[in-house]
Amino acid sequence: MTTRTAGRGQETGTERELVEMSWDPITRIIGNLGIYTKIDFNNREVVECRSTSSLFRGYSVFMKGKDPRDAHFITSRICGICGDNHATCSIYAQNMAYGVKPPPLAEWIINLGEAAEYMFDHTLFQDNLVFVDYCEQMVKQTNPSLLRRAETTEAPNARIHGYRTIADVMRAFNPFEGDVYREALQVSRVTREMCCLMEGRHVHPSTLYPGGVGTVATPQVFTDYLARLLRVLDFVKKAVPMNDDLFDFFYEALPGYEEVGRRRVMLGCWGAFQDPAAVDYDYRNMADWGRKMFVTPGIVLDGELLTTNLVDINLGIRILLGSSYYDDWQSEETFVTHDPLGNPVDQRHPWNQTTLPKPQKRDLEGGNYSWVMSPRWYDDRTGDHLALDTGGGPLARLWATALAGLVDTGTVRATGGSVEINLPKSRALPEMSFEWKVPRWANTIERNRARVYFVAYAAAMACYFVEQAMGEVRAGRTQVFSDFDVPDEAIGCGFHEAVRGVLSHHMVIRDGKIANYHPYPPTPWNASPRDSFGTPGPYEDAVQGLPIFEENGPDSFKGIDIMRTVRSFDPCLPCGVHMYLGDGKVLQQVHSPTFGAAG
Amino acid sequence: MSARKPIRTGRPDVKPDAPSHVKGVKEGNSTGNYDKQDGHLPDGRSTARRSTGINPGKHDPIDPGMPNLSPA
Repeated sequence: MTTRTAGRGQETGTERELVEMSWDPITRIIGNLGIYTKIDFNNREVVECRSTSSLFRGYSVFMKGKDPRDAHFITSRICGICGDNHATCSIYAQNMAYGVKPPPLAEWIINLGEAAEYMFDHTLFQDNLVFVDYCEQMVKQTNPSLLRRAETTEAPNARIHGYRTIADVMRAFNPFEGDVYREALQVSRVTREMCCLMEGRHVHPSTLYPGGVGTVATPQVFTDYLARLLRVLDFVKKAVPMNDDLFDFFYEALPGYEEVGRRRVMLGCWGAFQDPAAVDYDYRNMADWGRKMFVTPGIVLDGELLTTNLVDINLGIRILLGSSYYDDWQSEETFVTHDPLGNPVDQRHPWNQTTLPKPQKRDLEGGNYSWVMSPRWYDDRTGDHLALDTGGGPLARLWATALAGLVDTGTVRATGGSVEINLPKSRALPEMSFEWKVPRWANTIERNRARVYFVAYAAAMACYFVEQAMGEVRAGRTQVFSDFDVPDEAIGCGFHEAVRGVLSHHMVIRDGKIANYHPYPPTPWNASPRDSFGTPGPYEDAVQGLPIFEENGPDSFKGIDIMRTVRSFDPCLPCGVHMYLGDGKVLQQVHSPTFGAAG
Repeated sequence: MSARKPIRTGRPDVKPDAPSHVKGVKEGNSTGNYDKQDGHLPDGRSTARRSTGINPGKHDPIDPGMPNLSPA
């Protein structure tokens, strides 16, 4: 969390030659993401970084006055790739506000749909977008010597995935041409179909409602899902060892690469996959049913699990300003003074937030520079406002779940230091087990590695969920909806995991309408600018002090290590990068998908 | 149409931020509606009547001990 002033092997106070480099926009994000850096090429280090967003959405502004039952349909449109996560989270918040508990089969159906979403999105992002930064064509341009070494390095798991050397793996990642790239497109299609079977539509579900689902639970719908799942399992079983081979090679071939994108372990996970036997959506019991979720909510600080209590997590959320284009709401209305357990709720908590947009000129030198606010988690033991990140989603989910040791479904078991994932026999491959062990660092490589393990996690969970759902159907319990009345006054909060990390929706109902609504997706956490205490957001923190391993000098610099770091947080699909060099020379790089064809 | 003439539209009869629910109008989600619908048994199970009104009895399982899975 510190801003370095001196580079490696350099004395403090000496002159540094800094080159400004910027990437704006890194697209497909809530607002447009820009990364502005100052790089010391002599010491091969990024010295300063600011992440900005130039787009204002205003969901919290126009949700006011709406019918609360519409909330999940509207907020689903926040994102074009994880809209169903928003819908689900909004439904959790609405269930709490209405006091309704959906039937078990409805919960299994939502869990199945969400598991498919995780498999879909992570596969698409990892294989079609992240790996463009690791493919043969890219590495040839940024680190030619690394590619030469990869050509002669045998892949340890070649007998499983079929690629003899690491360079063969990299070739399989080449956009449009590589086998993995093309197969991943097929897999992401099949997993979307699985999501559609359960949620009616992807990305904006049509059959998810507060109180349950509209999916007609026939045996056919679950066997259709299972048949697709078994196809996907073949892909997953090859992907995990292949990812391990690649990432282990980077550590081995580039000593010190663990420092790329490394930041203090400060991870947040809000939990996913409700257990219908435990959840009643009553805030007063939230700590209990939160711990029963099949991805355990938790906050990991310096490798230790601070809490798994959703009530603590909820009350600790603070939305800070400091570098954002908003007026403060400290003197505005307080909607919720105390939660249903009697705990005081801070004015900076989403329940009490009033969004007051204040457009202005971007000022990267000590002024305001982003539409993103600075969500932080207040640690009442130390009084710190922690700039939690999500590790791209999977890293925080696996880390919190592993340390908590609460999940045990047979297909997935959390041990306290690792997560065991057991995948059943599939079409081409026998049953296989993987173990994700808590890594030594929270860095770029580990964020990416965790992603493929979480695909396996979601697949193993889907196997469990489909069995449970079929059990309900075989017993004839086909009810998927519970009716409810919308109260005149109520509050609700939903905690879920969007594909790329923590997701919360906070709602206040007055007079039967929405009086206040604040969704907090993962990217505001990850892409947040410096807060009122001067603490940089996670992207900024991870990129500042980043050592540069790229072999190109300033003139042909691609910033591959910086891009790998920002993309490891999964800032949605980075499809175009426009690069600006400080001396006025503008380079335009089309990163994907035409990269492979042109290269 | 020339660029200067705007497209002719009717007078809006609803404000863009009007809530979609008007108080007093029945809601499909209201408590009790689930029980009013045919084919739903009190214990969460259902019969073929849930899916069809045409000879629903013929779509029920031949053995009463079997789970009653209504047609989609």
